[in-house]
Amino acid sequence: MEQSVDIKAINERIKEESSFVDLLTMEMNKVIVGQKHLVEGLLIGLLSDGHILLEGVPGLAKTLAINTLATIVDAKFSRIQFTPDLLPADLLGTMIYSQKKEEFIVKQGPIFTNFVLADEINRAPAKVQSALLEAMQERQVTIGETTYPLEEPFLVMATQNPIEQEGTYPLPEAQVDRFMLKLVLDYPKKDEEQMIIRHNLAKTFPKASTILKPEDIIRARQVVKDVYMDEKIEKYIVDITFATRYPEQYGLEKFKDMISYGASPRASISLSMASKAYAFIKRRGYVIPEDVRAICHDVLRHRIGLSYEAEANNITSEEIISEILNQVEVP
Amino acid sequence: MNRIKKHISRVIVSFLILSTGVVHNASAQNVSVSAEMDSTVIFIGGQIDLKLQLSQPDNIDLSFPLLTDTITKNIEIVKAGQLDTLNRDNGRYLIEQSFRITSFDSGLHYIPPIVFEEVSQKLGKAIQTEPMALMVFNPFDEVDPQKGIVDIKQPMQAPFHLSELYKYLPWVLGIILLAGIVTFIILRYFGKEVPVKIFAKPAPVIPPHVKALEALDKIKQEKLWQHNRIKEYYSGVSDTLRHYIEERFEIRAMEQTTDEIMNSFKGIDFRDGKSIDNLRQILITSDLVKFAKHEPLPDENDLSMINAFFFVNQTKLEEIKSLEEEKEAMLNKENEVLNVSNSSEQ
Repeated sequence: MEQSVDIKAINERIKEESSFVDLLTMEMNKVIVGQKHLVEGLLIGLLSDGHILLEGVPGLAKTLAINTLATIVDAKFSRIQFTPDLLPADLLGTMIYSQKKEEFIVKQGPIFTNFVLADEINRAPAKVQSALLEAMQERQVTIGETTYPLEEPFLVMATQNPIEQEGTYPLPEAQVDRFMLKLVLDYPKKDEEQMIIRHNLAKTFPKASTILKPEDIIRARQVVKDVYMDEKIEKYIVDITFATRYPEQYGLEKFKDMISYGASPRASISLSMASKAYAFIKRRGYVIPEDVRAICHDVLRHRIGLSYEAEANNITSEEIISEILNQVEVP
Repeated sequence: MNRIKKHISRVIVSFLILSTGVVHNASAQNVSVSAEMDSTVIFIGGQIDLKLQLSQPDNIDLSFPLLTDTITKNIEIVKAGQLDTLNRDNGRYLIEQSFRITSFDSGLHYIPPIVFEEVSQKLGKAIQTEPMALMVFNPFDEVDPQKGIVDIKQPMQAPFHLSELYKYLPWVLGIILLAGIVTFIILRYFGKEVPVKIFAKPAPVIPPHVKALEALDKIKQEKLWQHNRIKEYYSGVSDTLRHYIEERFEIRAMEQTTDEIMNSFKGIDFRDGKSIDNLRQILITSDLVKFAKHEPLPDENDLSMINAFFFVNQTKLEEIKSLEEEKEAMLNKENEVLNVSNSSEQ
C-alpha cells in the first residue's frame, strides 16, 4: 500500500513539475512550424541529459530550433560549423600568451556553453570529432594542465547531411553510440510550409519568450530520474536490445546475417532514460510500453550495424527495429 | 589477308633481331651477363619467363638490376623470382634471377639493355645485356568503329540429350535398391514398433474461447488477488485475453501495447459496444497494476474478471456442428432424459 502511495506522490509531483512542458512546447511552436518530432526529441535530450544527432537536408530549422530552445531556457548557445580544417583547439580552446601579463592564459572555446549546435559534424576530421565527443561524455575539458567542467545543462545537437557524402569523415560506430538519440528530419507538410512562408515574410519574425532558467531544467532532470520504471519494462527494454544482437532468439532468423553488430548496453541505458523523459513529457509518473516504443527508433537507429548483405538487400536499420518491435512480446 | 601478312612480317623482323638477342652476353674482365626469354612471341596477356644471369669473379662488386613492376612501359612483371647465387670452385659467382613477364599491348616491343652497375669501379664501364624484342600477338579481331560496337556474345547453349544421364543410371538404380533393402529390413524387424499415423485421428482443435475461459477459470480458482498477488492476477487476465485476441481475431496482441490493440479493433464490428469497453477497462487497469503499482479495490478486481468472461463470451465464434454431431448430441440428450425418468419410476 505504501508503494502505491509513492507512485501516486510521484505522479502528482510529475504533473506539477512537468507543467512547463506545455509552455515550452507552445513557445517553440511559435517559432518552429511543424517538426514536432524534433521539438519532442530536443526535450527528451534536454530532460534525460543526452545528446542528439540530427540527420536532415539543409533548411529544416535545425539551427533555429536549438537557438529558440536556448532563448526559452535562458541558456547560452553556440553554433560551430565543422569544416575539414577545424582543429580541436578551435572547439575546446587553447592557451595564448598574454604580453601584458607575461604568462599563458586560457582562451576557452565555443564548447563552453549550454547548447552547442555542431553543424555538419562529419565534415571535420576524426581528431575534432573525438574531441567533441569526449567532452560530451566527460562533461569536462582539459586545457593545458587545468580541467574545466562544462556548463550545466549541456546539450550537443550535431547535424549530419544525408546528401553530399564526398569528402566527409563518417562518425565511427563507437562515437555515434554516444548520442542518445538520432533524429531523422523530413520536409514539412504543405500547410506547414505555407505557414513558414508567412512567418518569414511577415514584418516581424515570431520570437520565443524566456520562461525557464537552466536551474529549472536541472531540477526537472532529477524528477525525470524519479519516474517509476517497473521490472517488466526493464525486461522489455533488455529484450529489444538483445533482439538487435541475437535476432535468431526472437524468431528473426532472417536478420541474423543482416546485423553486423547490435545495440550496446549504453543503448539500453539510453532507452530507459529516454522512456522516462517521454513519460515525463506525457505527464505520467511511470513508464508504459508505449513510451519505449515511441522513442525506440530514435535511440536504436544509429546503434545497429548493418552487414554488406543488408545493404545489398536494401534493408535499413528502421526496418529491423520495426520488425523487432513487432516480434518482441509486450509485457 | 593484309593483317596476316603484316603479322608474319612482324614475326620475321622480331626473329631477325632475336637471333642475336636470345642469349646475349656482355663480358669484360671475366664478367659476363645474359638475358634470356622462353619465347619471343606471345599472345596478348600471355606469360613467359625472362632469366637474367651474371657470372663474375668474387673480388668485383656488381649490383643486380632492381626490376619491380615493369621492364618497359609495355612489358609488365607478373612475378619476380628470388636471387639465386651459386658459388663456383674457381672463385667465381653465378647469380641468376627469373621474372615472369607479360604484355597487354600488341606489337613488337623493344627491350633495352639491362644494366648491371659496378660498385667497385674496377671495370671502368657499365656491364649490360644485349637488347631484345618481344612480339605480342592480338588473336582477336580489331574493333572496326565503322561497323559499330556490338554486344558480347552470350555463352552458347549446349543441347541436352537424355543419353547424358545414362552414366548416372547405375548409381540411381543402386541407391533405389539400397533404399528398398533398408526399408525392407526396417519393416521386417521393427515393423510392429513403427507407429503408422497416416490414418490416425487428428487431435481435436480447441477453440480459442474454450482455452480462454478455462484459463480465466483457473486464475479465478487460484484466488491470486485475495492472496495479495495482484500483479500476477492482472498479468494472467490480460495475457489470457491477449492470447485469445491473437487466436480469435488474428491480431498480434502479444506484441502490441494497449493502445495498439484498441486501434486494431477499430475496423471490427461487435454486436455491442460494451465488449470493447470491457476490454479497454481490463487492459488499462492491468497496465496500471503492472507498470504503476496500482492497487485496485476488491470490487474492481472482481469486475475485471467478470468483464474478461463477458468479452470472451460476447466475441466467441459460435461452433457450427455437423449433422452427425447434432444427431449424436440429440441422442445423448434423449438417453439422459430416459435414464432420469426410468430411475424416478423405480
